[in-house]
Amino acid sequence: MIIAEQKPLDEIMGLLGSDERVLVVGCGTCVTVCFAGGAREAAIVAASVRMTSKLNSVPREVTDVTVQRQCEWEYLDEIKEQISDADIILSLGCGIGVQAIAERFPDKWVVPGLNTTFLGMPTEQGVWIERCAACGDCVLGITGGICPIARCSKSLLNGPCGGSEDGHCEINPDIDCAWQLIYDRLSRLGRLDALLELQPPKNWSTSRDGGPRKITRDDLRLAAEEE
Amino acid sequence: MEGDCHYLLGNINARRRVEFVRNLLLEIGLEASRVQMFNLSSAMGGQFAEYAAKLTEEIRQLGPNPLRKDPLYTTETSTGE
Amino acid sequence: MSNATSSNGYLVGSNLEKVLKAGHFAVTGELGPPQSADGQEIRHKAAILKGNCDAVNITDNQTAIVRMSSIGAGTIVVQEGLEPIIQMTCRDRNRLAIQSDLLGAYALGMRNLLCLTGDHQSFGNHPTAKNVFDIDSLQLVKLVSDMRDSAVFASGEAFKGPEARFFVGAAAAPFADPTEFRPYRLAKKIAAGANFIQTQLVYDIPAFAVYMEKVRSMGLHEQAYILAGVGPLKSPGMARYMKNQVPGILVPDKVIDRMNRASAPWADIPKEELTTEDKKARSQAWKDEGIRICIDLINELKEIKGVAGVHIMAIEWEEAVQPIVEGAGLLPRPVVAT
Repeated sequence: MIIAEQKPLDEIMGLLGSDERVLVVGCGTCVTVCFAGGAREAAIVAASVRMTSKLNSVPREVTDVTVQRQCEWEYLDEIKEQISDADIILSLGCGIGVQAIAERFPDKWVVPGLNTTFLGMPTEQGVWIERCAACGDCVLGITGGICPIARCSKSLLNGPCGGSEDGHCEINPDIDCAWQLIYDRLSRLGRLDALLELQPPKNWSTSRDGGPRKITRDDLRLAAEEE
Repeated sequence: MEGDCHYLLGNINARRRVEFVRNLLLEIGLEASRVQMFNLSSAMGGQFAEYAAKLTEEIRQLGPNPLRKDPLYTTETSTGE
Repeated sequence: MSNATSSNGYLVGSNLEKVLKAGHFAVTGELGPPQSADGQEIRHKAAILKGNCDAVNITDNQTAIVRMSSIGAGTIVVQEGLEPIIQMTCRDRNRLAIQSDLLGAYALGMRNLLCLTGDHQSFGNHPTAKNVFDIDSLQLVKLVSDMRDSAVFASGEAFKGPEARFFVGAAAAPFADPTEFRPYRLAKKIAAGANFIQTQLVYDIPAFAVYMEKVRSMGLHEQAYILAGVGPLKSPGMARYMKNQVPGILVPDKVIDRMNRASAPWADIPKEELTTEDKKARSQAWKDEGIRICIDLINELKEIKGVAGVHIMAIEWEEAVQPIVEGAGLLPRPVVAT
């Protein structure tokens, strides 16, 4: 899922400027699960903004609402009255949610309350780790199900480099060396031969490097919606 | 006392959450010391009274909550929870 | 070696290739470009190294600190009559930039290339920079080998004029994790086209001998020239730092003990009573011992079958190279006629 974390309150206050009526919009999907922008966090942020505005004598009226998914029109349409009543929208969705609001409500100013950080998972309660770089050309089939693009600091396809020690990456001892993990897993499964093959330069055009990406599936499109 | 809890590690988890709230208060612009956590057992009535008096006195020093009784400040939210 | 050679039997005919092919025990050094636009410093360092090395590595923004470019500094080194080994990392350039820089390097007279992935930018002085890592060191080795042997770019497109021809090098870290895999990774680099290998610093000869035994059993020493990395220690502190802080470097206690013993005359003087002269003398004693240890290491490495030479890394201490090479009986450097 998408992992995000809240921006510092100071930064949020700066983004809100002097706009009086603030609508904090939480999202009920990924950012709820990672405790960054669900209903609970939206309420906390709304209260924090309200309190700090008062302490600084900034007139402010703050409400909060949480939709099931900020990245789908139908859920955003459910709150269009509240959005129209607000001067500014503080989205606690990921970057996609913020943009969905901007696109659906062209006349409304929207600012992000979160930093969208990565695609990952919780490895224990309160700890999230990046797992996928969405490179568009999955290599997990040759690396034993461990992604070197997302998890090796240098995204090596022919690792390991010389910088791993005791299974940790040299740039951050809190991070496991992806290539050590790959090596150990292939070793356990008796497939180390896979590491002897030279992996050619990656085709990055399927990644962000190829420009913004789009998928179109005619089997799913509705004739009525085609332009 | 810390770690010596009927709910095993519950008091350690509680302390982390109290820390979160204290940091949040600081971010908002209020004094963190308005929220404090003390460890003690149910048999320590005297100690409890002492802590309560200490905290009350500290908060009295800080003065009343600057957010109280203000028309702009309400605790109501419209969350669907 | 298996790659396509020209009519004279050499891949590129660089001095380094000639010395190695003739079977001489090769010596390469290292020249770190300045963190400035000072060309004079390159000339100064080149003068110190000239005659003591068959070729010198010119580092490429080493440890991710901005320095004069490897190719820029290499051009000056060529002018000074010393042969450069251009280091090229994948951290700062994508495959377009790497290839165009290499075309320029060849046109400017550079013939040796060391292919590296590059230190992560978080170690350097621009930690907030975006890195590239479009390709990795192995893919780079393959790319430049194909450029030379098949006259094609990374895209597969053929050259429309003369191709860039380099004697291709790669690095090896014999003691890095996972150590069992290291000889295989070396094999992979050689299969990708590496003609010579420079290893990470070796202080632990028995451990390196074990690595080389595996390397020989795989026949790798017959497919590429392996130069063992050595470097003079400046102090016991430096030795301990390398042992404890740098991944992939083994420093045996006896080496640290030797460095400690060198400062024995000052060992009983309390720290605060050490005069500037004392500290100077102690530092000199450490440096002298560091050079002696380096010489001893080279002499032991010469005895290991499959070691084709040494790569002396005396960063910001180029003056140490001459006494080391001389002390190891490696002077004068051979001159191989074409």
